[in-house]
Order: sequence, then structure tokens, then C-alpha cells
Amino acid sequence: MRINGVAIEDTFAEAFTMRAARIVITGKNAKWAREAALDLTGFATSVIGCKCEAGIERPIPESETPDGRPGLSVLFFTMDKESLPQRLVERLGQTVLTCPTTSCFDGLAAAPDRLPVGKALRVFGDGFQASKVVGGRRYWRLPVMEGEFLIDETFGMQKAVGGGNFLILAEDGDAALSAAEAAVAAMEGLPGVILPFPGGVVRSGSKVGSRRYKNMIATTNDAFSPTLRAITKTALPEGVNSVLEIVLDGLDAPAIEAAMRAGIPAACRPGVRGITAGNYGGKLGPHHFHLRKIMGEG
Amino acid sequence: MDLTLRAALDGPLDASCIAADRFAALGERDIAALPVRHDGRAGTLGDFFAIRGERKPRVRVIGQLERADGIGTGMAGGELVIEGNVGRDLGLAMAGGTIDAHGNAGENAGGAAPGTPRGVTGGEIVIRGSVAEGVGSSMRRGMVVVMGDAGRGTGQRMIAGTVVVFGTIAGGAGRFLKRGSIIGVRDIERPATFRYACTYRPPHLRVLFLYLRRQYALPVAEMHVTGRYHRYSGDLAELGRGEILQWAGE
Repeated sequence: MRINGVAIEDTFAEAFTMRAARIVITGKNAKWAREAALDLTGFATSVIGCKCEAGIERPIPESETPDGRPGLSVLFFTMDKESLPQRLVERLGQTVLTCPTTSCFDGLAAAPDRLPVGKALRVFGDGFQASKVVGGRRYWRLPVMEGEFLIDETFGMQKAVGGGNFLILAEDGDAALSAAEAAVAAMEGLPGVILPFPGGVVRSGSKVGSRRYKNMIATTNDAFSPTLRAITKTALPEGVNSVLEIVLDGLDAPAIEAAMRAGIPAACRPGVRGITAGNYGGKLGPHHFHLRKIMGEG
Repeated sequence: MDLTLRAALDGPLDASCIAADRFAALGERDIAALPVRHDGRAGTLGDFFAIRGERKPRVRVIGQLERADGIGTGMAGGELVIEGNVGRDLGLAMAGGTIDAHGNAGENAGGAAPGTPRGVTGGEIVIRGSVAEGVGSSMRRGMVVVMGDAGRGTGQRMIAGTVVVFGTIAGGAGRFLKRGSIIGVRDIERPATFRYACTYRPPHLRVLFLYLRRQYALPVAEMHVTGRYHRYSGDLAELGRGEILQWAGE
């Protein structure tokens, strides 16, 4: 299969079941909502080192937010349901609570699993906090120096999918980066998906474990590292000198498939030799995203 | 389900059997047989109302009901719509559901039964006209919204919950209030035991007012949604953890 002359390998991305929350942050204007969202999602690229993965899903227009102000939705992922509330309490407490003018709302109101995040953060009010129930939802009002911080008492949690991916195999670094940027632009703002890495792109894809260091849970993906082509069992086709990876986390598999369907053709540009995907032989992750099937072959 | 008043009431009617959650489980005959007292004499609901429909959690009550008291007493769910003015004790000690009154309401709307410490413990009451004395008295939880004026003693002895008034609020508002919020956008006669705290834009009011627009199609002005409010803490003769929020301008 080829798209714009770029070979789409007959392989699949292997992804894992995660737990996710959707946070809606509003502010006096889009700038302040974004400031909070950027801090909230900072250092949240991979569960390997950050304990969570997070990213901005999309801007939310004033007509869709609970308080009629401009906002952003953020998706938050952890590997297990126990750690999700912990990460949310830590991060919301240090980033959104501290950010001027912002309020914080649950974006998965229909999810039956509820995380008592606002309920935990309320104690910052030192007993001066107050709650209000509006339309069956309880909000906490925390007195702060600016005025008041408003947050939902509970946030919904649902099963999700983390680790969808595809790799861009390019002739050189510039071509790889241009293709990755185009793919990210095509996927940005799609509902239910985030790209947790810097600018949506990973240059240091990893393999599980280490050939040499016992304490390392992930090390460089030497099979796709061009500088190691001559001394390792390479997976690189002839003419490929740079590889970049796009990693996707989504609220469900169809959301990831839709994003890959948008991103892969955008990455098929001049200078790109092929598109492939990362997997572990299909034995670790229950979600398999077959590139050719997603792109409509057969 | 519709309940239509057959004829004008010439004396007070205790209509406290009218509640949406109760009617949801009853047939027309059962509803018609519910006991009422009219001017001190025993009767049945069917003597005064034509009943159409059954076993529905959404009930419309139609007619000039100024002398029908206690509608929605103890209601715990469902939806009650009142097409007209209504008497005293609307939604007395209500625990859940919604009451939407398209007219004025009498005394003690969303209040407590005499001698009891708690009034409304949940649910929402919207009064699209004005209301007499004591709206929201001893409320523990829930919300009462008044689009017109509110009489004396609004939110007195509130334990928590919210009373919103878009008209004027007469004297004695919030007296002996422990927690809870009284929100007004026009003149409020505050007790001296409320103390000014600050003027700010309460973030929860945006959520509340937009909810009222969305849920009940209430004409909440944008300047009230986005505006600044004076916050008065009180009642300082009590716990002092409640508030009166009074609109202060855009």
C-alpha cells in the first residue's frame, strides 16, 4: 500500500488500556485558560518517567463551557485507576488552582466512575471553603487571594487507550520533521485524542528494557536508530536516515483510529520513505491498530 | 399529567397531596381520591381538580391557585409545573425534583413546616412572579429562584442552599442564616448583622445563571451573569458562614 508514493508497512501499533479523565479549564480569556493547561500538562509525556500522560485536547468555545468563558479541554491518562486521582490532585492543585481567573470543570460528566478531586482540593480552603450544587453537580468554592477558585467536586474516569503510534521513516531529519509537523497539524483538535510528547512528536522512541542495564525499563529503540544501522539488527529500510514517532492517547480506539487516519496521509510527503508502527509482537497490549486497515485497504 | 382547577376556590385548600413523585406511581382514580381539606372541611382532590393522565413524573397544575396551599410538600422527585399564581407553603420541606411556578407564590415558599428546624433539603423551585414573606426559610439544601420581588424574611434561618431573587428583597433577609447564599440583583434590605467583605465576580454565579437560562429559559441578563457583586458575610449573630451577594454593576 502506498499513499503519495510513501509505503505503508503491513504492521500494527500496539497500545494499552489506560484510565483517563477530561479536565475543562476556563479563564477570563483564552490566554489564561491556556497558561493553566500548559502547566497542567507539562512534564506529562510518558508514564515511564512522568507517572501520567496529558495533553490539550482542543479549545472549547464559550458556548460550550459551564461558565460561558473561553476554555480548553485536557485529557489525562494513567496506567491504573488508583493513580489517576493522585496525579490530578497534585497537578490541579499546583497549576490550575494557582493560575489567575481559572475555573476547573469535569469533562466526563456521564462517566459512572467518579474521582473526588475537587473534594480533596477543597481543604486548601482551610475550612472557609463552601460548596454549591447547580443542576445536580456539586462545585467547591475555595477562597483565594484573587477571589474564589471554582472546581467540580468529582471528575469522571473511564477506560481509555494509550500508546497508539506510527513512525515516519524519512530520508533526512528535515523531511522527517516536516512530515511530523504536518501529521500533528492534521490531528490537532480532533476529539478524544492527545499527542502527549513535545509538539506531538517523539524523536527517542524506546524499546522495553535494556540490553545492558538491568535497572532500565526502557532504552533507545536501536532497531530504528540510523546511527546504529551498521552494528545492530536494524529495522530501517535503505535510504532512511531519520525517524520520528507520533504517539497518540485516546478516550477510545475509534478516536485513535480517526486521528491516525488524518495524520498518516499528512505525513506522506516528499522525503518520506515509509510509515510503520511500533509493537511488541502483539503480546503486551490488547489494542492493535493495523496501519493498512485504518487507511482503508481491503 | 394535568390537574385543572374546576372552579375558583372560595376558601383555603390544603393541597399538600400534590407532588410529582407521588403521582408518578398513581392512577387517575387514586389521585382523585387523595384527601384534601377545603376551608377546614374534608374532601378529595378530584372534588376540586379535573385530572387527566396518570403515572407520570411530570405534572401540570392549572388554574388560579392563590388559595391552594402546600403544593409540592415533601416532594422528592419529578417535575411540577404550576400555570398560575399559587398559595402559601409551595414546596414545603421539599427534598428533590423541580417546581416551576408561572406566577406569584404566597408565604413560606420553599420553607419549613411550623416548629421544624429544617425546610427544603433538595430540589429546585422557580417562581416566575413575586413571592410573599419567608421564601427559603430554614433551607438546608436546594435552590429557590424568584424572578420578581421577595417579601420580608427571605432566607431566614437558612442552614445552607441558595435563594436567588431578581427583584427587590424586603427587610430581614438572611436573619439567623448559618450558611447558604442569598443572591440579589436589585435592592436588598440587609440586617445589620451582615458585614461587607469585598466586591468581586463570583465564578459560581456564572455557572448558576447560565444553568438557569439553559434549564428553565429564564431571562437572566448578561450583566448579571458577568457582573460584580458585593459580598456580605453573615449572619454574624449566628455561625456567620453564609452570604448575601448583591449585584454591584458590570
